[in-house]
Amino acid sequence: MNFHVIGKKTVRKDALAKVTGAEKYASDIYLPNMLHARVLKSPYAHARVKRIDTSKPEEMGAVVVTFKDVPDRLFCPRLVSTPEATYKDWRVLTDKPAFVGEPIAAVAAETEEEAQKALEMIEVEYEVLEPVFDPLESMSEGKPKIHEKIILNDREIKVENNIACRLELQEGDLDEAFRRSDIIIEREFKTSRGYHNQLEPKVAVVKPEADGGLTIWCTTQTIHNTRLLISEIFNIPVSKINVKKLALGGGFGSSIQTNIVVPIAVALALKARRPVRLAYTKEEDMHEHSSYQMIFRFKIGVTKDGKLTGGYMENIMDIGAHQVQAYPLLGTCAGWWVSLYKLQAVKYVGVAVYTNKIPSCAYRGYGNPQVTWAVETIMDELAEMLGIDPIEFRLMNYVGEGDLFWGQGPTVKSIIKSCGVEEILRRGAEIIDWKNRPRPGEQKGRFRRGVGMARGYHTSSAGAPVPSQVVDYSGAILKVNEDGTVDYITALIDQGGGTLEAHAKIIAEELGLPLKNVNIVSADTQTTIYDVCTHASRGVYAGGGAALNTARKVKEKILELASKVLNAYPHTLKIRPDEERGQAVIYVEGIPGKEITLGELASLARVKNWGTIAAIESYRPPACPPHFTGYFVEVLVDTETGIVKPLKVVIGADVGTVINPDLAEGQLHGGFVMGWSRAILEDLKYSKETGDVECRGFILDYKMPTAKDIPEEIKTFFVETYEPTGPFGAKGLGEGAQNPAIAAIANAIYNATGIRFYELPITPEKLLEKLREKEEKQKKHEIVQHLTKNG
Amino acid sequence: MLIRIKFVLNDKLVEVETEPNVTLLDLLREELRITSVKRGCEVGECGACTVLLDGKPVNSCLILAPTIDGRNIVTVEGLARDGKLHPLQEAFIEEFALQCGYCTPGVLLTAKALLDINPKPTIQEIKEALSGNLCRCGAYQQIINAILKASQKIQNNNR
Repeated sequence: MNFHVIGKKTVRKDALAKVTGAEKYASDIYLPNMLHARVLKSPYAHARVKRIDTSKPEEMGAVVVTFKDVPDRLFCPRLVSTPEATYKDWRVLTDKPAFVGEPIAAVAAETEEEAQKALEMIEVEYEVLEPVFDPLESMSEGKPKIHEKIILNDREIKVENNIACRLELQEGDLDEAFRRSDIIIEREFKTSRGYHNQLEPKVAVVKPEADGGLTIWCTTQTIHNTRLLISEIFNIPVSKINVKKLALGGGFGSSIQTNIVVPIAVALALKARRPVRLAYTKEEDMHEHSSYQMIFRFKIGVTKDGKLTGGYMENIMDIGAHQVQAYPLLGTCAGWWVSLYKLQAVKYVGVAVYTNKIPSCAYRGYGNPQVTWAVETIMDELAEMLGIDPIEFRLMNYVGEGDLFWGQGPTVKSIIKSCGVEEILRRGAEIIDWKNRPRPGEQKGRFRRGVGMARGYHTSSAGAPVPSQVVDYSGAILKVNEDGTVDYITALIDQGGGTLEAHAKIIAEELGLPLKNVNIVSADTQTTIYDVCTHASRGVYAGGGAALNTARKVKEKILELASKVLNAYPHTLKIRPDEERGQAVIYVEGIPGKEITLGELASLARVKNWGTIAAIESYRPPACPPHFTGYFVEVLVDTETGIVKPLKVVIGADVGTVINPDLAEGQLHGGFVMGWSRAILEDLKYSKETGDVECRGFILDYKMPTAKDIPEEIKTFFVETYEPTGPFGAKGLGEGAQNPAIAAIANAIYNATGIRFYELPITPEKLLEKLREKEEKQKKHEIVQHLTKNG
Repeated sequence: MLIRIKFVLNDKLVEVETEPNVTLLDLLREELRITSVKRGCEVGECGACTVLLDGKPVNSCLILAPTIDGRNIVTVEGLARDGKLHPLQEAFIEEFALQCGYCTPGVLLTAKALLDINPKPTIQEIKEALSGNLCRCGAYQQIINAILKASQKIQNNNR
């Protein structure tokens, strides 16, 4: 298709502010007359506060709030799901902490240092309770109860055996499917527990307003859900709360929910009647959120000619001490699995278990990288057992165009309308020289090269043709200024990938505007209409859909007014960008001089009292089309140190129409770096003695990749398809960019060493241990062979 | 105990009173409101708070404010000259070497220090120099490309 700005290399609008240090993040907001806050947190993984005395800090003049001062109301910090799928078990401050770091009380004072001193003067007596860290142990009989009662859909429910929630699904006749199978593979996998480490620690600045309302600046992926939640907890009318949109110093899922610093700062500001700033340190941030850890059991059948038959998946998720989105995640994990490959019969059992750990939340991919790692390991294994090329085996079984897709769980179903899987796999294989890859386990010597691949996808939004358990819609406001530019007002937050840049291009394309004439203006909940959240790789697809729909309405109005001026029928008018004049020009084709610039039209509309050219639209995406990716990774394993290095990475993607090629490429690069980290490096380990994370929140002992860890060559390519439900054919990318990375790396390590890993991360220690085991087995085998020959 | 210090900040003489336990990061952010110096890990691991101290990149969270008395500090605000962006800033924009932007000021200053002593660095030297700056968005390749491009730009300008 012939676009004037979509797919072109352009400078991103926020780049200037970002390279000059002018960009404002929540942490950069300072208000006059502001107090600074600190939070008192439980040093125990499981305890009850028997006595708390705040008189000393209060005598000192500090403002103190404890669990006694906050509304006694359970809530869920994430408002993306509908009420029947939202489990509430959180309090702003608690007297029964269930993880090391759970907030008990908070203090505000003139400086952060004074606040800290005041905090240390609070006297607390704890009754220490027995903690439980292992999910399997936690869900067995007679273990300490982490929660007694929680709320679902406004009704109290009892928690049994620390099981937070569960989901079971069954389709087709699984017994029959297994009977038809020639091979049935059974595997168990255990994922790591990761920390997002978005570079910006979480911050909230809250200002009480004269009318009893609040203005809030905070780290978030959703300003509207933040205001809804604060309204719900504190019983303040939603319209009196205004949440400001700011730049976000990385999210990766860690701010889909409203961060606990927000309600704590609200409680302090309401009590102090002064603005309060609460900024978590990195250590505190690491005690605030982590990823879900999962144990999968898979049983999958296949016929000898390579057709998958049916499968069973069990998913036990360690969710930590509270539910952020455990229930919907049980659904998506099933969805990630069944929407990868066609299975005629499936059975799924998902159980989310409370443990006395830091609460888990979504982490780029929302369980998809983990499920894909397991499934793509199994696909590799089955291909080898069957003697079929792993790529061909995948192509025989994948879910593609025309197939039913329910990546976002069993209540979000739609039909796939665009799919570039085959081209991704064929081109990727060619670039990495797949045919000449090493044979698994055949290499000797210290350094062993391996090539592995995996494929995956992620949904673009959580939209669907019918209502589901997920709220998913966006909104946009567009107004034409008298200088011919357009103000774009949206609540949607750009996590840094350039989502809003894509929206600007979509608007410019539809209105025939030079890109520079689209202004992305500052916004807050008062001046925008609802957008659910930037998650589920929905920014370009769903938010872009809203931008496009609104631009279409604006275009209608432009043409209607221009038809009056040009004395032509509206539907015969055209708009073109005139870069020289820096304007969109509305014209009649074939009649020179019959034209007017958008600036002239908007100015004329004012003088003639025709009104402002503007539109406002709320948009529900009709589907959540998968964007597909394929990873091909070449690694070098040092069998003496266990260190694995990436040599070459090839990533192919089908994101429909590519709106911003350079930014899209950036997503793929970033996806690899994060995937590499999750495959090889990152894991939050817990001390059984203290119940705390072993690194105690210091990233000194929680390593992640630096510039030195990236391969010499990362090659990316886009397979262009056209998604009929997407804006100008576009789909999402942020999560699919990473999802197959872990699997491809693990498969490459297998190719180099002949060893499969069923537990993440694949650290040098684990690799060395397995290599030694393998060597010993080999030796024993050789000895036996030698003895048999000579015996 | 208040200590009076004088130092040069982005070519301007600054005189402030500070305390012995205040870090350079806190002095710049909380006192002088130079918010481009980002607060990250505060243990010298992430590099978000990088500034140039007498031309060398340092983690400002690890430097005590009184020790900069009489010295020279450059933050990212000090890169542009006479309203014109530094070639590194231009190159970072052109090469899409940023995503969320939180690491960007620190990365730019690390890169400036590198190019000041090594105008034509190799990729390996760039990687080495950047190893103290985390970019969680994973834009390392684009950052390296931008530094190579800036190096070229500076050489062309000097011709």
